[in-house]
Amino acid sequence: MTGYLLRRVGQAVVVVIGLLIVIFIMIHLVPGSIARSVLGVRATPGRISLFNSTYGLNEPLYRQFLTYLGQLAHGNFGISYQLQQPVSTLIAQRVPKDIVLVGLSTVLALVIALPMGIYQAVHRDRIGDHLLTGASFTLYSMPDFFFAFLLIAAFSVQLHIFPPEAPSASSLGGLLADPRALVLPVVTLALVSLASFSRYMRSSAIEVLAQDYIRVARAKGLPRRLVLSRHVLRNSVLPVVTMVGLSFPSIIAGAVIAEEVFNYPGMGLLMYQAATSHDIPILLGCTLVIGVATVVGSLAADIAYAVIDPRVRYGRG
Amino acid sequence: MRTLRGLAAAVAAAAMAVTFAACSGGGSSSGIGAGQGAPTGPKEKGGTVTMAWIAAAPNFIFPLAPATNTDGYNVNLTQPMWPYLVYNGDGGQAAVNPQESLYSSMTWSAGDKTITIVLKPWKWSDGTPITSRDFTFVYNMLKADYQNWINYLPGQFPADVTSVSAPNSRTVVINLDRSYNPDFYAEDVLGYVPLLPQHAWDKTSMTGKVGNYDETTAGAKAVYAFLQKEGGDMSAFTTNPLWSVTDGPWKLASFNSDGDYSYVPNPHYSGPDKPSLAKWVNTAYTTDTAELDALRAGGSLDVGTLPLNDVQQVGILKSSGYSVASQPLPGVAAITPNFYNAQVGPILRQLYVRQAMEELIDRPQIVAKAYAGYADPGNGPVPVQAFSHWASPLEKSGGPYKYDPARAVSLLKAHGWKVVPGGTSTCQSPGTGAADCGAGITAGQGLSFQLLYSSGTAAMDQQEAAIQSSEEQAGIRFALKSEPFNTLVGQFGVCTASSHPVSGCAWQLVDEGYIPYNLYPAGSSLFNTGGVNNNGGYSSPEEDNLVNATEYGSSTQAFYQYEDYTAQQLPWLWLPLESNVWVYKSNLGGFAPLNPISGGLNPEVWYYAK
Repeated sequence: MTGYLLRRVGQAVVVVIGLLIVIFIMIHLVPGSIARSVLGVRATPGRISLFNSTYGLNEPLYRQFLTYLGQLAHGNFGISYQLQQPVSTLIAQRVPKDIVLVGLSTVLALVIALPMGIYQAVHRDRIGDHLLTGASFTLYSMPDFFFAFLLIAAFSVQLHIFPPEAPSASSLGGLLADPRALVLPVVTLALVSLASFSRYMRSSAIEVLAQDYIRVARAKGLPRRLVLSRHVLRNSVLPVVTMVGLSFPSIIAGAVIAEEVFNYPGMGLLMYQAATSHDIPILLGCTLVIGVATVVGSLAADIAYAVIDPRVRYGRG
Repeated sequence: MRTLRGLAAAVAAAAMAVTFAACSGGGSSSGIGAGQGAPTGPKEKGGTVTMAWIAAAPNFIFPLAPATNTDGYNVNLTQPMWPYLVYNGDGGQAAVNPQESLYSSMTWSAGDKTITIVLKPWKWSDGTPITSRDFTFVYNMLKADYQNWINYLPGQFPADVTSVSAPNSRTVVINLDRSYNPDFYAEDVLGYVPLLPQHAWDKTSMTGKVGNYDETTAGAKAVYAFLQKEGGDMSAFTTNPLWSVTDGPWKLASFNSDGDYSYVPNPHYSGPDKPSLAKWVNTAYTTDTAELDALRAGGSLDVGTLPLNDVQQVGILKSSGYSVASQPLPGVAAITPNFYNAQVGPILRQLYVRQAMEELIDRPQIVAKAYAGYADPGNGPVPVQAFSHWASPLEKSGGPYKYDPARAVSLLKAHGWKVVPGGTSTCQSPGTGAADCGAGITAGQGLSFQLLYSSGTAAMDQQEAAIQSSEEQAGIRFALKSEPFNTLVGQFGVCTASSHPVSGCAWQLVDEGYIPYNLYPAGSSLFNTGGVNNNGGYSSPEEDNLVNATEYGSSTQAFYQYEDYTAQQLPWLWLPLESNVWVYKSNLGGFAPLNPISGGLNPEVWYYAK
């Protein structure tokens, strides 16, 4: 297992560096002047020249990239052109927000989706299955911003039960200290992602329910509750584990629409704004962090496989 | 000799008349004007106002921000603490505010080359008197490194200053290298220069002692660099002792980098408008939708802006205890033609083509439909609502080119074009004669252009679609393409006869939103040859002379002459300019009427009524 992990980490480093090279080139292929884009109507020839020399943009591209790698080696992600703050600070401020928002919504979606998928599998093609399928498809097909507006209109504007904004604190503790403000954004994201988890769970559980060992368990007289929790759940959750692993980077990358609607400036908005304003240090920094999150998420899913399914073992090769 | 005060009074009177006219005439059925009158209840001391800003996050507290820091919201953060020498905006008027300005008199002499400024006997928040040394401190720092100051304009302050002296503790004498129009210089130059506390900030490190380091160029550079370094440390905005010395009505109480910050009154503020509120909280919203939701939910916000797409919400907001007021913006909105685009530059250089294009833009309809009535008509380079005192009779009467599709068609036909309404008109008579298409235009060339515009607002989308549709009446085709503002401005550069062709000159027509004016709506940098915002490369010796006359001359007629000539020559195609619509708690006094310059940013005059 240790050798496997070391190999995976080595692969990850290569993948992340490759990703950085590709993103670096792609960003510089975008037409338009970076200095003009950032300076806007204040772009004079003098300011453009000062900007380019300040940020090393008058250097050859390869030298800019090497300089960036050198900075990274010292833990320096650079300074945002627009926000004039260290990128590492900006990411450190935003990531906890998205871990809370997207993380909680993912957990909530799983808490609902797993039993829901099993329920639908057990009651396949009955009225309950059809109703839940209809509900989850409706939520899945609904744009999250629209769903968010509906929730705000009902629970904030009309009923005044929950605030229309997510918590404004920047620390993890501060965010969790205002649970009422988290309800609407977390529910919005959870419900729109419910369908994918529950559908995977349903189809996987249907397959497991048809397996011989389930019949054996039932024939032995094991209570249905134990059959479902010990055998069906554990064996059918593997595809969902893969999905959760793949969704880990999106927990870090944030949810730009929900962040906009609920006034919750996270990584999604940070990257969107950086992309529209040629803010290269932010784009590179975020890409790096999300690239690492992708590798970590995938690795975590693999490890979770081994934990859940004793048949899975990682050795040589 | 002339003094600024007299001029300011005249300007103020004119502005007052305009504000009234704009308010009484503006609007739609929702009835938004300049705002309701003051609340009737007695004035209450204390209270907190929470004010919403959209996508606003200041990041720099030192008032002389570096040239590469373009965050316009830094001014919002610093001005309440370190106001400019000349305070622009007075109540509802776009005028100099003599009460809040830091000078008691400003006298021009030596053919308008020398300014003598007498400072008011005011004090810093630590009790130290404000003196002329505080001005020379600012001047010395800027003179040493003005290229690294965000407000520096080529050739102007402090590059144009030959000497500054301080004959006594309250008098500053500035000698300039040329004569200036006093209005221009006071409002657009000194109106953006603050006084800073030399006795507290003249140092090169946090632990170092205060000295007179700024008196040498090297020392001034070191002080400037130190203050700029400290000015970007957001974690210390409220704790760094440097920033606790202010001369404005407010002191910073809290700050975070998301754009949430608050002030408490400066108890030692010397000005006449001492804050009545106990606290002023500014909070940033990611989008106007999120802000509107917060307003509709009630409770958390006292002041915010209302997107024009949502003016139908006014009734609900009023019933929830809010009042609504409009604020004309000080700027010019237009489509910039690229006179040196390789394909269409020769067409756009023809005045008659630009006239036809302008006469096909139904500006009143755009104001009514796209902007719900809350926009300046855009009759020329000066907005008539924000700057009525500078708007010429020609502009006030609707400008030189009113909506007239028939005349546009005639103009094109008279110059050798085969007009195909709904299609693409083509040049039938190439050549340079009076009845020909014009120099550089080839036979069969079509009137077809790409129009880039700044995305993000439904009103802009509607405006561009309306223009596209109405231009088709004369066979002028506009292919629309929208981009986020920063992406847009990154794609086009200043194109001139000498710079063409360069990679940044492929654009043909662009509408980037609007260019803001300072208090004096000067045309330099916009329409003069080589102006930094003259992106299309318009160049005319007559225009240059007229622009120069408004900035360097003393004739009071020069401004109207410049304005009318510019309106007629169409260096840009004039468009309506939307107004801000503000929502504020009905018991908040002093908020309205709003002036175009500082309105919404002078909470020292706000108060709650019981």
